[in-house]
Amino acid sequence: MDISYIWAWDTFGASFNHMVEAYVIGAIVYASLFGLMSLGLTLTYLTTKVPNFAYGSFVTVGMYVSYTFNILYKVSAYVSAPAAFLFGGCCSVAMYLIVLRTLAKRGSSLVSLMIATLAVDIGFLGIFGMYTDYFAARYRLVTAKVIYQFPDFDLWGLPGLFYVGPISLAIVSAVLFLLLTRTRFGVSMRASVENPNLARVLGINVERVYTFAWFLAGGFAALSGSYYILWLQGGIDAGSGLIVEIFAASVLGGLASIYGAMLGGLIVGASEVLVTTALVQNIAPWFSLYQKGIPLVIMIITLLILPEGLVSIDWIMVVRRRVSSALDLLESIVRSLRMR
Amino acid sequence: MLDLGILWGPLLVVSLTLNLEAGYAGVPNFGKVMFVAGGAAIAGSVSGRLAALMLGIDTRGNYVGNVASIVSQANVGIANNPALTFQLFSIGVILAAAVGAGLGLIASYPAIRLREDYLGMLLLGAAQLFQILLGSYDPFIGGSQPIGVPDLFWWAPSGAGWRDLAALGIISSLACVVYLLSEKIARSPLGRTLRAVRDNEIAARSLGKDDVAIRRKVIVLASAISGIAGAMITFYYASVGAGTWDRIAYTFWPWVMVIIGGAANNLGVAMGSFSFAFALKGLNLVKFQFASIFPVDVNYLEYLLFASVLILILMFRPQGMVPEKSSLTLPPSEVGLIMQQGAVPVSPLDKDGRPLDNAKDPAN
Repeated sequence: MDISYIWAWDTFGASFNHMVEAYVIGAIVYASLFGLMSLGLTLTYLTTKVPNFAYGSFVTVGMYVSYTFNILYKVSAYVSAPAAFLFGGCCSVAMYLIVLRTLAKRGSSLVSLMIATLAVDIGFLGIFGMYTDYFAARYRLVTAKVIYQFPDFDLWGLPGLFYVGPISLAIVSAVLFLLLTRTRFGVSMRASVENPNLARVLGINVERVYTFAWFLAGGFAALSGSYYILWLQGGIDAGSGLIVEIFAASVLGGLASIYGAMLGGLIVGASEVLVTTALVQNIAPWFSLYQKGIPLVIMIITLLILPEGLVSIDWIMVVRRRVSSALDLLESIVRSLRMR
Repeated sequence: MLDLGILWGPLLVVSLTLNLEAGYAGVPNFGKVMFVAGGAAIAGSVSGRLAALMLGIDTRGNYVGNVASIVSQANVGIANNPALTFQLFSIGVILAAAVGAGLGLIASYPAIRLREDYLGMLLLGAAQLFQILLGSYDPFIGGSQPIGVPDLFWWAPSGAGWRDLAALGIISSLACVVYLLSEKIARSPLGRTLRAVRDNEIAARSLGKDDVAIRRKVIVLASAISGIAGAMITFYYASVGAGTWDRIAYTFWPWVMVIIGGAANNLGVAMGSFSFAFALKGLNLVKFQFASIFPVDVNYLEYLLFASVLILILMFRPQGMVPEKSSLTLPPSEVGLIMQQGAVPVSPLDKDGRPLDNAKDPAN
């Protein structure tokens, strides 16, 4: 049974460290990829308040940039990752400026904007299809429609992505945190997201801020895309399939917060691997077919029970209430003991 | 020409139901494919098994594994047995409607409570989950491989195009029925209520309209009809597989048709879907000229082209080909009559809308 979190470089004959379980490695890689992707998706939602159904296409853009660089210049995906970041960011900005901002200026309804993003996703699918056809014909490849996993370096018996993934996510979050809290531009970004009209009154160029946010979002997606093909097969519709899982991650965390996005991404990515492994090992092997369904189930449950996501829960109050009720219970027990 | 009709028919039906949901009732359904696929799957799955049961074909305990031989045996048994054919067809259609309605009922709970953007994400995700389930659970419709379905169109004379014509006849009649039904709903008080609920549900609720129940009914009806459309497609192609039901064909294309044609407007949707199907077929015909210039598959160009067209239409003519007509109110004289009969305790109006001088206050 083909479990898709088992990485391909194992088939290249590299030895791996048996001390760390396969599913732990898979969980960590998935968690970091999803954390990156849902960061970007939440950025696009925070700025435009429209769920961006085309976000998955930016992931595919990153995949194909790395693929192109690999075929043409024979470089690893790690080397082409920055190029993917830039290109994905530019595609994202193009979509924002050409499609979303124009439609918003003309007063399109929310549903029309959502349909427009769905249309952009399908338009991108067409572009990828044509590009891969042309590329395959030009460079006499068998097919560019399916990208097989790239070989990854290994360090202490573990795949490179196991290190690069979480480190990238950590660097990105640190940079984002510093940007948003320590720089003027970052603070104006937070202001534009919270109250764009007031930010405009204060002289902040909200449109420029949003454009930058979309550049970052597209960049994160493309970065994840170029890492993705080190782990799994890619294809022209890889992004379109991923989009609902990325939405699951963002919704779980809470679309109102970037930290929520990262939390949601980590949880959804890790649980996709861990839950599948638990089910496969303890119940039945055919559960592996339903691996892609786990984030969707999480999203459905979240939307029905807790639509605002995990960040909407006031955890401090929850803890305080639990602690106080536990203390009350303890007190009543002590009192009843004393009565005797 | 015939396959234009075959292409157009079910898509028209699905677009009309989407128009009912999204155009009239204001529920954006981004997971339409789920309801169509559900109807198609149940029709394909059950009709074959039922045929085997009624004809006494031995399935050897594994329907999907032996489906090819079972279906060919069933086709032999069905041929020259119009009663059985009709039974299988109607049971398939009824079950498809039931499954569609059931899925619609389940989907209506979140649909009514969630905001549009969350609802869009939920339905898109649910449709993908449904496709995963269909594709992974082998015993139902063969999982990743499509399975054959007994050919219920054997009675069409053999020869080029007769089968298509027969199928076209049935699909067209379904489309006509759905169109007339949608028009009837649209022009009725129910239609006005739907538009009122769509535009301002709080105001509608304050006037005593149960918006939750109304929207639920519309979603269930629209999903049931979508299921029937799915069953039709299955019976025409005599096969069903999880891969056919992708997001693009049965969620995106109906949205394109509704928006190009004009939402909340059945004539517009019909025209929109016709032009779309026409353009699709036209592109396919010129595909060969194109292939000599660019070595690309025309399908991908179609995606890019239609996506761009949709975005341009959203930018420059968002009301579509045929804009929605605003709801007309009753003429003032009729309103005066109603008020005179005591429905509303205000002074009645004459035929020009001015209050009558010797107005009797009905409240006294």
